[in-house]
Amino acid sequence: MTITLALPSKGRIKEASAALFDKAGLSIVSVGNDRSYRGRIEGLDGVEVAYLSASEIARELAAGTVDFGITGEDLVREGMSDVETRVDFCARLGFGAADVVVAVPEIWLDVETMADLGDVAADFRARHGRRLAIATKYWRLTQQFFSQRHGIQLYRIVESLGATEGAPAAGQADIIVDITSTGATLRANHLKVLADGVILKSEACLVRARKPAHDGDARVAEIVSRVGAAL
Amino acid sequence: MPLIDMPDFAGALLDEFGRRRTQRVDAPVIQPAAPFLDMAGEDLRRRIFLTESETGESFCLRPEFTIPVCLRHIETATGTPKRYSYLGQVFRQRREGGNEFYQAGIEDLGDRNFASADARVVADALGCLGRILPGRSLTVTIGDQAVFEAVVAALGLPAGWQRRLVRAFGQQDVLDAMIARLARPAPMAGLPDEVEALLEAGNEAGLIAHVEAEMARTGTLTNASRAPEEIVRRLKEKRQVADASLNKAKLDALKEFLSLNVSLRYAPAVLADFARTAGLPLRDAIAGFDARVAAFANAGAPLADITWRAAFGRPLDYYTGLVFEVTERGKHEVLAGGGRFDRMMTLLGAADHIPAVGFALWLDRVEAALAPAGKRTAP
Repeated sequence: MTITLALPSKGRIKEASAALFDKAGLSIVSVGNDRSYRGRIEGLDGVEVAYLSASEIARELAAGTVDFGITGEDLVREGMSDVETRVDFCARLGFGAADVVVAVPEIWLDVETMADLGDVAADFRARHGRRLAIATKYWRLTQQFFSQRHGIQLYRIVESLGATEGAPAAGQADIIVDITSTGATLRANHLKVLADGVILKSEACLVRARKPAHDGDARVAEIVSRVGAAL
Repeated sequence: MPLIDMPDFAGALLDEFGRRRTQRVDAPVIQPAAPFLDMAGEDLRRRIFLTESETGESFCLRPEFTIPVCLRHIETATGTPKRYSYLGQVFRQRREGGNEFYQAGIEDLGDRNFASADARVVADALGCLGRILPGRSLTVTIGDQAVFEAVVAALGLPAGWQRRLVRAFGQQDVLDAMIARLARPAPMAGLPDEVEALLEAGNEAGLIAHVEAEMARTGTLTNASRAPEEIVRRLKEKRQVADASLNKAKLDALKEFLSLNVSLRYAPAVLADFARTAGLPLRDAIAGFDARVAAFANAGAPLADITWRAAFGRPLDYYTGLVFEVTERGKHEVLAGGGRFDRMMTLLGAADHIPAVGFALWLDRVEAALAPAGKRTAP
């Protein structure tokens, strides 16, 4: 069996992943030319490297078509149900840090906590003839946090595929659930994060798709232990 | 009528619906998704089968019948009272059991005698199950949001807290967290000085002007989402909510109420006792409760088989009073569930206020309950 390792194909997370694997003594060599989307690990036979986008890596992990992937925890948790039974978060890598947060307009002086938001959501339909609208690309994380964690049922998700922080100002939604690293973009758009509104503290992770074939495979154990030791 | 694929007892059930003077209605399998998500919340999205039309409109496979039956009633505008029945397939993503199964039920719209309509809907559910499962011992658990609302109101909490508690009714862990918080005030802090001063002075106009000015400065639309007046009104309410707490006696009373779990035969006496020892003015709620118990007895419902559990409720904003579930004695599978949803018709767009009660039978579970006894012949 070939072990497939999916790495991000662009950006800082790509550089950081390559540096980490170098440090772990698992140098990645491109197959063909430098811009190839395939690679292998020097000195470790039967392992191939595939370069994919971060969201594709999460999807392939969910489908079990790759064995390992480096991608954001947010994308993995958003991309599948029963995440703990389907993948193993082998290591948190210390880069790509960002929080998935609930943010509301700064001018909502009366809303600081999820309990406040629950009050507002419950009243919303009677006042506005529609449910409170949340712009996000994180359907699953939002539902889990609002419905299961905080008992807030009455809201509608408006899918947002980019520039989510602009949705309230544009009148597309009332609040947002989005990713933020420094909070600067939120502040620039006059949004504030609720005191208990951090849904997930995400960062890049080495993630393994749980497969029976991995048990007792020395290459699997070696990749996990070497990356762990390099952190 | 061809009954291929339907449960063996479908014919008997339809006959029973007819005897109970209901009008059988059907609903398309493919339904617009918005009314379901709007009523039941986003959590439903994970549990239904959604698809999209070419124009981007969301549709789903019929996850239940109550909303389509109510919408149909509003569209056809045929007046009330009306008793509708249905029997058909519903589609849901479930952890246990198949994703497509049959449900049947009755929706009873427009009867303004709440006690007798409540009694009738429970009697209907028991009668229908009795027809299919003759000789089985069935038990009913009922809950009543109206009584809980009365208890919460009698505790003297600010309106904001009353709504919070009522909203959490039926979700014990959420209620527990609120009860823990109510043990002491949680003063509100962190407001900008200017806002704090205006709030302290009770200067509502000043607060609204402040919010309007901030919205203008930041380019926030004042008509797209929450308006300045709405934010200020809730800010004032939040101050009351933050400062509110309950003394130990009242907290204990609330906890004791939520722990009541008693046969309906004794429920009126237990509730009256509770009100007296807790010193809470619950006369109207008790009168309504007693009237329903009397109506149950009149309708021939077996009070000994009905249990009232004070904490039993459903956390959806259209349920307003009675909720109930029917199981076989000693078993957990809910064979029938129903209740009063007086707010639904208005939320769905009815011009008039139309009181509504109804129930649904889980026919796959009924079928499973039939199987072990080997009674496969049509009753």
